[in-house]
Amino acid sequence: MTVKLTEVGNAQETAQGLTTALAGGKVPDLVLIQAGDLPKFMKNPGNFTDLATLGADQVEDDYVDWVMAQATAKSGEIVGIPTDVGGMGVAYRTDLFAAAGLPTNRDEVSALWPTWEEFIATGQRYTQASGNAFIDNAATTVFLQAVSQGTEQYYSADGEVVYDTNPVVKDSFDLGLKAIAAGITAKLESFSDGWNAGMAKGTFAAVAAPSWMLGSIRSAAPETEGKWDIATIPGGSGNWGGSYLAIPARAANPKAAWAYISKMQSPEQQLQHFIESGSLPTTPVNYDKPELVDHTDPFFSGAPTGKIFTQAVLGLKPFLNGEYNTEISTELLNALNGVEGDGAPAAAAWDTAVKGIKTAIGA
Amino acid sequence: MAATLTPGTLKGVKPATATRPVEKRWERLAPYGYVAPFYVLFLVFGLFPLLFTFYVALFDWNPIGDKTFVGLANFQQLAADPRFWNALKNTFSIWIISTAPQLLIALVLAQVLNSALLRFATFFRMAMLLPYITSVAATAIVFAQLFNRDFGLLNWVIGGLGFQHVDFMSTPLAATSSSRPWSSGAGSGTTRCSTSPRCRPSRATSTRRPPWTERAGQAVLPHHAALAAAGHRLHRHHVDHRRAADLHRTLLLSNGTLTCGTARQCQTLSLFLYEQGFGSFKFGYGSAIGVALFAIIVVVAFINFLLSSRLGKKG
Repeated sequence: MTVKLTEVGNAQETAQGLTTALAGGKVPDLVLIQAGDLPKFMKNPGNFTDLATLGADQVEDDYVDWVMAQATAKSGEIVGIPTDVGGMGVAYRTDLFAAAGLPTNRDEVSALWPTWEEFIATGQRYTQASGNAFIDNAATTVFLQAVSQGTEQYYSADGEVVYDTNPVVKDSFDLGLKAIAAGITAKLESFSDGWNAGMAKGTFAAVAAPSWMLGSIRSAAPETEGKWDIATIPGGSGNWGGSYLAIPARAANPKAAWAYISKMQSPEQQLQHFIESGSLPTTPVNYDKPELVDHTDPFFSGAPTGKIFTQAVLGLKPFLNGEYNTEISTELLNALNGVEGDGAPAAAAWDTAVKGIKTAIGA
Repeated sequence: MAATLTPGTLKGVKPATATRPVEKRWERLAPYGYVAPFYVLFLVFGLFPLLFTFYVALFDWNPIGDKTFVGLANFQQLAADPRFWNALKNTFSIWIISTAPQLLIALVLAQVLNSALLRFATFFRMAMLLPYITSVAATAIVFAQLFNRDFGLLNWVIGGLGFQHVDFMSTPLAATSSSRPWSSGAGSGTTRCSTSPRCRPSRATSTRRPPWTERAGQAVLPHHAALAAAGHRLHRHHVDHRRAADLHRTLLLSNGTLTCGTARQCQTLSLFLYEQGFGSFKFGYGSAIGVALFAIIVVVAFINFLLSSRLGKKG
């Protein structure tokens, strides 16, 4: 079996390329879909081969339940097999924490913030002592993480749009506003140029870090090696990102594609991927294997990354995503970034976001 | 010159056709063959997509899902959509802010470059062309770094002089400059918005903006100005090229977010179209935006035609 790999581009380009292919172009036998794009494709599961017909129903219990649920259509089709997840932690600078009189040991640091309120309070302590920002921005480091901990987020279990009535969303949004009002944010949007530079220069001391972000920190700030450590995320659990492998309905060789998926994404192989590349397995049977639990990362002061990130994934409960997840979260994040960066009035931010969402999705 | 080509001057000369051998059929058809590639390509990549856009605009069209006929509902929604009017406003302000100063400066520069007093004239003339061949993406990245709020070169200088850092992203013209179509690659402020999507135009901060920022990095091509003056500005390819460059640039600038700014401060019509079509897979609505854009271009081109033909007569 020969596998030809094509890299399309960034996540957005990949999703667009896939859409074009599904809409009538030449489809590959196998496609990788990012978790954030998945809800859009789940609306029309008919575009994909139901993996259950190829044997996925035999192995679906190998994977974390809520991750698998994201790729299972309402009508029961299994659209994708999860390749990795983005378990959450908080990456923090031990040198900056020490200079501000905060503890540096990762267990003591984790104990500082069992809740988001205490996380913000710790931030205020840091900012008062150091005069510098504590986190990069409130939108992704506070709001996005807090909202992802809800068992019900923008959509209810039966698929209704509930972002405007769900207290989890409003409370998380208010936490974001609170972090901004506390003055602990560096006003640097995630993945912007300033954000990368800020990471290297210590403009902020902590950042919500999913497992895959460790690589970004390493490459954005190579000279900070050994100055970082990883604590648990407030609330104890969280996920940001991840990917799925799927087979388009019109694929020429669905059987061969499934043979590849079932072999390469088996629990044994996923553990191997973790050892080789650090990609976090979606198979809980690996979560207490010594290879994973004992894995430490010298760049992050020897933090047991495998253990910290898998614990964060296990704490989550299945929740439902919907077609307009991206549109909803974009408006909410924009409203928070507007308050933080542009000085838009905080009191009106929620209404701005809700109004924007209603314009965008008509609900 | 032209006079020698008028039929009058040919009087007395034996008509060329008299001695020409009778054309074979394929010879008469050959010219059509020579010009065919353009028309075929135009049909496939120009006319058909254009007409198909009008068709798709009448549907609620999900490229990988249902396609429902909705009549003019997309246009009704568009008329009531604040995002559309915001994008329209941004597009026009970019056009005005970029065109007026560009033409003025270009005229002055063209005079200077043409001056007999100029030393190293070839060097300066070639230097003017450099931005034209620089990729938009590369320019955007460089300017993004120059204008960065915290770590940009300009703010490093400003900070070094003892002043507070200027947040170029939140200054008034930044929004429009982020995607303004200065001659290809000239960069200019393109990227003032680029490092972050914060480009809200706010009156309160307008006075804070140092005047020189408007000129920084601006390289205007006399050649381009001449083109513009000749009324070629709305030449179809030119528009296409600009739209693509504009889109490419705004995307780069807005950190990958399709709203370009937390409150869509720098979202242009083409970016709004892109957001709806390729971000949200709403092809029908995206097409309706495309049709609106088409109508606007036709109107502007017509006005431009009227103006330039009147000016031409006077000259």
